[in-house]
Amino acid sequence: MRQLRRNGVLLAPAGIWLLVMLVLPLVVVFIFSFGERGAAGGYVPALTLEQYANLPARWTAFKNTLILAPLGTLAALLIAYPLAYYLAVRCSPKWRTTLLILVIVPFWTSILIRSYAWIFILGGRGIPALLEMVGIDEVRLINTPFAVLVGIVYGYLPLMVFPIFVSLDKLDKRLLEASSDLGSTPLRTFWQVTLPLSVPGVATGCMLVFILLMGEFLIPAILGGGKVFFVGNALVDLFLQSRNWAFGSAVAMTLVFIMLVTVTVYMKFISRLGGQRDDISLM
Amino acid sequence: MRLYAISVYLFLYIPIGVIAVFSFNSGRHASQFMGFSTKWYGKALSNPFVMDALETSLIAAFLTACLAASLGTMAAIALQGVSGWLRTLFDALIYIAVMIPGIVIGIATLIALVTVFGWVNPMLAALWPEGATPPQLNMGMGTLVAAHTMFTMALVIIIVRARIAGMDRSLLEASQDLFATPWGTFRQVTLPLIAPAILAGFLLSFTFSFDDFIIAFFVAGSETTLPIYIFSSIRRGVTPEINAIGTMVMAASLMLLVIAQMLLRRGVSKSG
Amino acid sequence: MSKDDGTISKKRFMEELRRYQKGSVTRRHFLGVTGLGVASAVMGAAVPGLRPRPAWAAGDIGDRVILATWPNYHDEANFDAFTEATGAHVQVNVFGSNEEMLAKLQAGGSGWDVFVPTNYTITTYVDEDLIAPLDTSKLANYDAGSFEQRFSDAGSVNGTLYAVPKNWGTTGFAINTSKLDGAPTPTTWKEFWDLTMGTYSGRTMVHDYQLTTIGNALKYFGYSFNSVDEKELADAEKLLLDAKPHLFAISSDYQPPMRNGDAWMTMCWTGDGKQMNVDMPEIVYVLGKEGGELWSDYYAIPKGAPHMDAAYALINFLLDPAVNAKEVLAHGYPSADARTNALLPKELLEDPILYPAADLLSALEFGAAATLTDPNRAELLARFKSA
Repeated sequence: MRQLRRNGVLLAPAGIWLLVMLVLPLVVVFIFSFGERGAAGGYVPALTLEQYANLPARWTAFKNTLILAPLGTLAALLIAYPLAYYLAVRCSPKWRTTLLILVIVPFWTSILIRSYAWIFILGGRGIPALLEMVGIDEVRLINTPFAVLVGIVYGYLPLMVFPIFVSLDKLDKRLLEASSDLGSTPLRTFWQVTLPLSVPGVATGCMLVFILLMGEFLIPAILGGGKVFFVGNALVDLFLQSRNWAFGSAVAMTLVFIMLVTVTVYMKFISRLGGQRDDISLM
Repeated sequence: MRLYAISVYLFLYIPIGVIAVFSFNSGRHASQFMGFSTKWYGKALSNPFVMDALETSLIAAFLTACLAASLGTMAAIALQGVSGWLRTLFDALIYIAVMIPGIVIGIATLIALVTVFGWVNPMLAALWPEGATPPQLNMGMGTLVAAHTMFTMALVIIIVRARIAGMDRSLLEASQDLFATPWGTFRQVTLPLIAPAILAGFLLSFTFSFDDFIIAFFVAGSETTLPIYIFSSIRRGVTPEINAIGTMVMAASLMLLVIAQMLLRRGVSKSG
Repeated sequence: MSKDDGTISKKRFMEELRRYQKGSVTRRHFLGVTGLGVASAVMGAAVPGLRPRPAWAAGDIGDRVILATWPNYHDEANFDAFTEATGAHVQVNVFGSNEEMLAKLQAGGSGWDVFVPTNYTITTYVDEDLIAPLDTSKLANYDAGSFEQRFSDAGSVNGTLYAVPKNWGTTGFAINTSKLDGAPTPTTWKEFWDLTMGTYSGRTMVHDYQLTTIGNALKYFGYSFNSVDEKELADAEKLLLDAKPHLFAISSDYQPPMRNGDAWMTMCWTGDGKQMNVDMPEIVYVLGKEGGELWSDYYAIPKGAPHMDAAYALINFLLDPAVNAKEVLAHGYPSADARTNALLPKELLEDPILYPAADLLSALEFGAAATLTDPNRAELLARFKSA
């Protein structure tokens, strides 16, 4: 009994916090999504499904997000995995910590500034100018989905490298030696030993990056020139330009729903694949 | 393999090099290099709004980290002894909290609080004695810290809980067998064991809050955090001042990291 | 305040300023002795007959004032002078559209002290109870009679003054003529859109707010800039969607890409056209023959501004003709204030970018309040952006 009361006291602040700052806002958004836009913007109470019926008007934003978020996650994974592998398995332990730190440091500069740097690099005076020197003319990179993809990979690479590194680092090096002693080719060893053991790290990294990408706003806004629209951009636009709180709420609810479904399915899938769900936590 | 690693590091650092190089540009426009100068560093450091924004960001990040680490740790410990619907509810809420995109948190918090304040403020005004100015609830530092804490607290709960789960139960039992009070057990056994997780949660919360733009953009009201200042400056047409700020922030965090590393090494060699 | 302590000699002023900077006198003493801020003291002396009496000279106005305004719209040196004179630092928040300013104010707690609404938005702010009426007794530099009426009358709603004129301007387009390959410089909105989908494909920018982007698309068909007619808007939407793949960007921050050559043509406001033309003469500013937008921006104070005294002080300071003249020289937008124009060089007053020919000017329309709040136009642009 005493312990119950103690637990209640310890849980209460966090519970109240989650109730006021998470449940309440979501409930308000849910209610607003059945309302209407006020005459000068904002929200007026109503009970209508009009906002949800209007969702196809944002189809492209959802499509861009649903294509570029998985694609960005995949690209980050493909670039991060070999690096994490190198850091955990191949590089000398003397350098490991330093190299690892060097992966995180860029993460500590505002993502705004880092994305902004790419405007120079991808802009007319950056890579296209270099390409022109070798005779490739008229390459346009900035304000394209490609630019957004580069920004995404650049922005979130550390988040992918880290969990993979951690899971590869835990891997018992003797397993690798044993595998090669038994006459396995390096590729086979990787395929049959290393890769399966790194699944938890890959799963965590992919999920982290995917969640962030689904709600991305800044990178498409800076590197997409207002042309590569994510749901996040559509949301900001609905709240800050057309001031349509009702429709904005419907779009937000839809995004939350899509994420709940995809992330839950993903977790189920991964836990079946790895059979060790305990290792796959969000962090 | 090594070549590959080098090229990834180049990919990571060329943009940062570009930022740093242009921070020494003497020209006003960030797109053309006009000559070497350190004037933008002086400008940034003497710009009261940069300093204010930095201060706001540091305060918000510190408060967020303190609240998230303490409330999150409390909840994580309590959750060990809780089962049934309460446990399921908490698990679900934490899951939703970390999964919902920041932009939805920002917008939802904004419209919910604006709506609530719209009801509460007139009520406060009616209740307040004649003549005195009634308090006004507004978006600002309070709402910013509250929103950041919601999200980062969930992270702390996850991290600390993982640590507790990995803890050796026999230690707790041994402590109880030796007639330690629950508080004594907590202070002398549990706390030292989960301290690294709490610290990690604190640092993660601090970093998240310090860096966050999108939630702050919606809920910070009239407060300007450093990322909001930078965003606004980018729209104003970037001067190298922004590059100077970015370079300084990075240099500072690098320095902290090196210092932390050195302290850690010393600690290790002492104890070993 | 007598005539004598209204101005002090420049020499004495500089001495006091130096003492103040060295910290040997307080700001209050400094203000007390000089009686006035830097600009109004120096300029007041320079312009005989004009000796504004700033309300803020009387007391401390705090150390900060927050201004919400548009990109490339002020002379930074003026803000420095204001800070030096009053001790209040000016924080400039830059916005891309009136819609965004309105959204921020509607959400509450913007924290702004002064903002810069455009003519057609002011009635909406009044309806929404977001804007504070102005007390002219605190704006000694405001002289209603010196402003050209059509650029100042939107500041009053139902006989109450809510906003005082900053400057006016037009919305045309800027084009980098060096990329035309000898073709004649376009003069119409029809050519703007045709070029966008032709030789300037991938190099054109349009604004990221509805009024001008939709308005100038409507102009392609010869419709009114302010149209809210369903059929006409549908035509405009079709044009916008056809043009979208050919755009370089949808953004109101067009100077950087225009200057570095990534963009060749953009919808553009007077002053930005002037600023770019001064530095790069190949970029010219064109007003579409079919018409387009004529506008006037104002200074106003939002309801509940946290630093009210500083807000009045800043507006009053910026209304000072001498200060305003410097602003015009920096931003390149025409002022409606006769007193300011009297201080400006003749070339600027005859500049065709700032003061378009009468026939071009008469085709332009002011934005309408109904256009700002029309839900269909707002949603049309949002659809275009997310298409």
